[in-house]
This record gives sequence, structure tokens and C-alpha cells, in this order.
Amino acid sequence: MVTPVLTAAQAHDWIVAFRDVVVANAAELSDLDRQSGDGDFGTNITTVLNAVGGRLDPGEDRVAGHFAVLASGFMNGGGTSGPLFAIWFQGFAEACSTGASAAQLADGAEAGLAGVSRLGGAKPGDKTMVDAMSPAAKALRVAADQLAVPEVALADAAQAARTGATVTASYSARRGRASYVGAAAQGVVDPGALAVALFFESAAGAVR
Amino acid sequence: MLDVHQFINGADSYEADVLDGFARAHAGLVRWNRAPSYVVRRNPAPDKVALVSGGGSGHEPLHSGFVGDGMLDAAVPGHVFTSPTPEQVIAATKAVAGDAGALLVVKNYTGDLINFRLAAEILDASGVRVRSVVVDDDLATETDGDGDPGRRGTAATLVVEKVCGAAAERGATLDEVADLATRVVARSRSLAVSFSGAQLPGSSIRSFEVPADEVEFGVGIHGERGTARHPLRPVRELVAELTARISGALDLASGHRVVAVVNGLGATPAAELYLAYGELAGCLERAGVRLARGLVGTYVTALDMRGLSVTLTVADEEILALWDDPVRTAALAW
Repeated sequence: MVTPVLTAAQAHDWIVAFRDVVVANAAELSDLDRQSGDGDFGTNITTVLNAVGGRLDPGEDRVAGHFAVLASGFMNGGGTSGPLFAIWFQGFAEACSTGASAAQLADGAEAGLAGVSRLGGAKPGDKTMVDAMSPAAKALRVAADQLAVPEVALADAAQAARTGATVTASYSARRGRASYVGAAAQGVVDPGALAVALFFESAAGAVR
Repeated sequence: MLDVHQFINGADSYEADVLDGFARAHAGLVRWNRAPSYVVRRNPAPDKVALVSGGGSGHEPLHSGFVGDGMLDAAVPGHVFTSPTPEQVIAATKAVAGDAGALLVVKNYTGDLINFRLAAEILDASGVRVRSVVVDDDLATETDGDGDPGRRGTAATLVVEKVCGAAAERGATLDEVADLATRVVARSRSLAVSFSGAQLPGSSIRSFEVPADEVEFGVGIHGERGTARHPLRPVRELVAELTARISGALDLASGHRVVAVVNGLGATPAAELYLAYGELAGCLERAGVRLARGLVGTYVTALDMRGLSVTLTVADEEILALWDDPVRTAALAW
């Protein structure tokens, strides 16, 4: 039996869809950041993804190649979240090949999460992007172990990431920008976690 | 259209405009690489340990003003109050680091830690020997929690860069310079007070306002609010409180020697800084602490905050000798 894989063309469309949804939600992302940090998150991530969109090559025939473009775009994005997203997407770039099976996506999500945790020092519950990345990685692994197709695995990851992001509203920050404003960020969803949820949700239209 | 009283062309070109002017003003000392943006000394010293620091812009003259003989080899400025990217740090470090390696001096902020850590990993993987030291001197954000962000990095950065720059110039190894940096950081504490927050380039809003009869204690260098607001008192009493808290944190006792820095946050007149220094000297004298060396001026700023910080470093013979070594930079020279 041939393992079903995500194709390079699907990965391309997924990243483009991610950019579009982030652009559409830029104001909300910035507004969340204003309540928990310095308010530039929506602008910064939009700038990065627009640049990435311009550099994606529709002729690229490797999933890994598309994720590498995404990673390098964030590497030059600056701020706190830029390099963390870069290391996260780098995990996907290194785990995927020409295509990406659910198991490879799980490998990538786990490696990316390990990189983010190592660099940023955040743990689940600290009100950061890790709160969405961690459950998404777990969901991908469970789905991969059940031999799910990428489409299903990514839908599970999206649901897990969204739940993880939503719950950050109830946390008080221990890491990152929001930790400096303390109680003022209570009740506010972490914008980095929300971006992770948007990323997995973007797969729904592109991967079928 | 501009609608705030700032001498700028606009917020978008602010950092580049500042660096362009800075590089022109000090063309004999530094060279500015526009993209990726970093400042290096004009006369390279490839045989010694390179000192590289950086962080968000808005703290001028830190760090670019400390590039030159006897201090930094490279400074990496990010956007205002925003960490530089790993790409900038890597390019700057590669431009100045030779076989002796490079020490990265990082202020304790989440963004700076992440970007410099990632840069250090990539530099290491590409064969450049690097070590990093994190400066965390600001008592205002000291907490008991293990995973908390902890004390911010503020004006002690200047002391670290001066002392370690001198050690590198004398030919110390990377490990020696890094260990010295760690020692200076461990012996340095700062605390700041302000009458106002900071106004970002192009913004008409101040990060906070303080009523005329009050003063904000424990402010940061990014326009962060303080930890407490006190009724306004004469500077003698304000400095006495700052000194007492720093002395307590450092376990200062009679007979100790210190290097003291009274630093303006951007909009405080030099006269008031000297006034505060005089009060600090009096406080230390009464406690039997020897004020071995002192520095007064506007060095580590938060754009235009009308505040000041006091930094004390417990000194020994080695630190004092290195402090006295010649330095020739845009902002510090003797």
C-alpha cells in the first residue's frame, strides 16, 4: 500500500492560504498583541508572509522546499516571534521530503516544538505559541499512528491548536512579551498561539 | 504629515536615518553596514576576542556609540525597542570575529535572548567560536520565580562592555573574557526613576505620564512603567532610596569599592545627573563604601524619558584596572 502524502503543490497552496488568512486577521492579531505586548505582531507577520508569498515557487517540487522558504522568511522577520516561527517551520522543512506523510508532519511538528521550547524556554501553560504548537504536535502523532491521511491528521491538528490557543486567554503569561504586562493580558488570547491555529486551519482548503 | 515635536523625517526611516548620521559623525571610528544593518569599528582588530552587542534601537548612544578601540567591535541595532534579527547578528559577528572568537553581550529581554541564541547556534555550526553573556542588572523586575523573565538588562551593559572590551584588547582569551563578563554582571545592579514614559518616533502618545507631584520608581528602558509611584521628594531622598535598594541587593558593606554610573534616560539635563551623582557619593561615603570610579552622563537611554538610573558594580583591582584602560569610542573616551 502506498502511504498517502501531501504534495508540493498542496503545500504551496496551504502556505498561500495561511498568508491570506493572516492578512485578513492582521488587525485582530495586532489588537491581541496590543493587550499583551507591544502591538506589532499583526504587522510583522503580515510583512513576513507577504514576502514569503512573493518568494514561493509554484514550480518547486518538494514540500521541504516550500517550508524552507517559510522558515527563512521568518528568520528575517525580527522581534521575538520571528525566529521562533522560523525554527518551528524549519522542523517541518527538515522532516518533510518531496511529499509529506502524516508521520512526517508529526515528526516536523515535534522537532519544531522542541526547537521553539529550547530557544524560547516556554512550556505549555506559559501563554505563548507553544500552547497551540504542543497539542497540534500531539494530535498529528496520534493521527499518524492511526495511519490517517494528511488531510485528516491536519484537521485534527487544527482542532487541537485552536483549542490550545483559545485556552491561553485564561493563562497569565510567564514568558514572552505578555509576561512584562502581567495581569493586563488576562483574558486575552495569545496572538502567537492564534497564528499557529490559523496555520493548521489553512490546510483545510488546500489539502484535499 | 508629521504632527509631533520630534526631529525626524518619519517613523519608517527613523533607524536608518539615525545610523546614517551617526556613521557620518564618527566616520573615523566606525563603519555602518546598511543591510543587514550593523556598525563595526573602522580599524579592525582581528587578532583579539571580538565583542559584539546589540538590541533594539532607542537606547542611543548604546550600543553603536561604544564601538571603537577598547570596547565593542560590532553593534547590531534592531528597530526601535525590537531585537535585531539573527541574520544581522551573524553578519556582524562574522565581520569582526577572527580565530580568537567572539563574545556576544546580550541584555536580558525575551526577544534579544532568542535572536542572539539562534545566531550563536548558527555561528557555532559554521565554525565561529562564540560565547554569550546575558546582562541582567535591573532590580525593578527581580522576582523569586524560577522561570520568570527576571531582571532586565540596562545600564550595567555599559560597564560590562567597557571592562570586557579592555580585557579583550589586552589579549585575554574568549573564555577569560566571558568569565569576566559573568563576574561583572553578577556584581552589578541598577534601578531607575522617571517623571515620564517614552514617546516612540512619530507617536504623539507617551507610554505613561506622571503627575507633577509624583515620581515613578523602577522604570525600564523601553518606556515600561515602574513598579511603584511615590510622592515627589528632593533628589537627595530619591537617590538615597535607590542607593539603599541597590546596596542591599549587592550586600554592599563598609570597605567595598564600587564603580558607579549615574545615567540619564534621554531627556534629563546633565546638571541634574551631576546633582544626583553628588548625592550618591554622599550616600556611599556615609556607608563607608569607596566610590572608586564614577561615570555621569546620558549613555543608556529610553528615547526621551525624563528619568535617570543608578548602577553600582562591586569592583576589584582587575575590574578597576580594566576600567581605567584607554577607550576611544563615539560616546566614551579616555
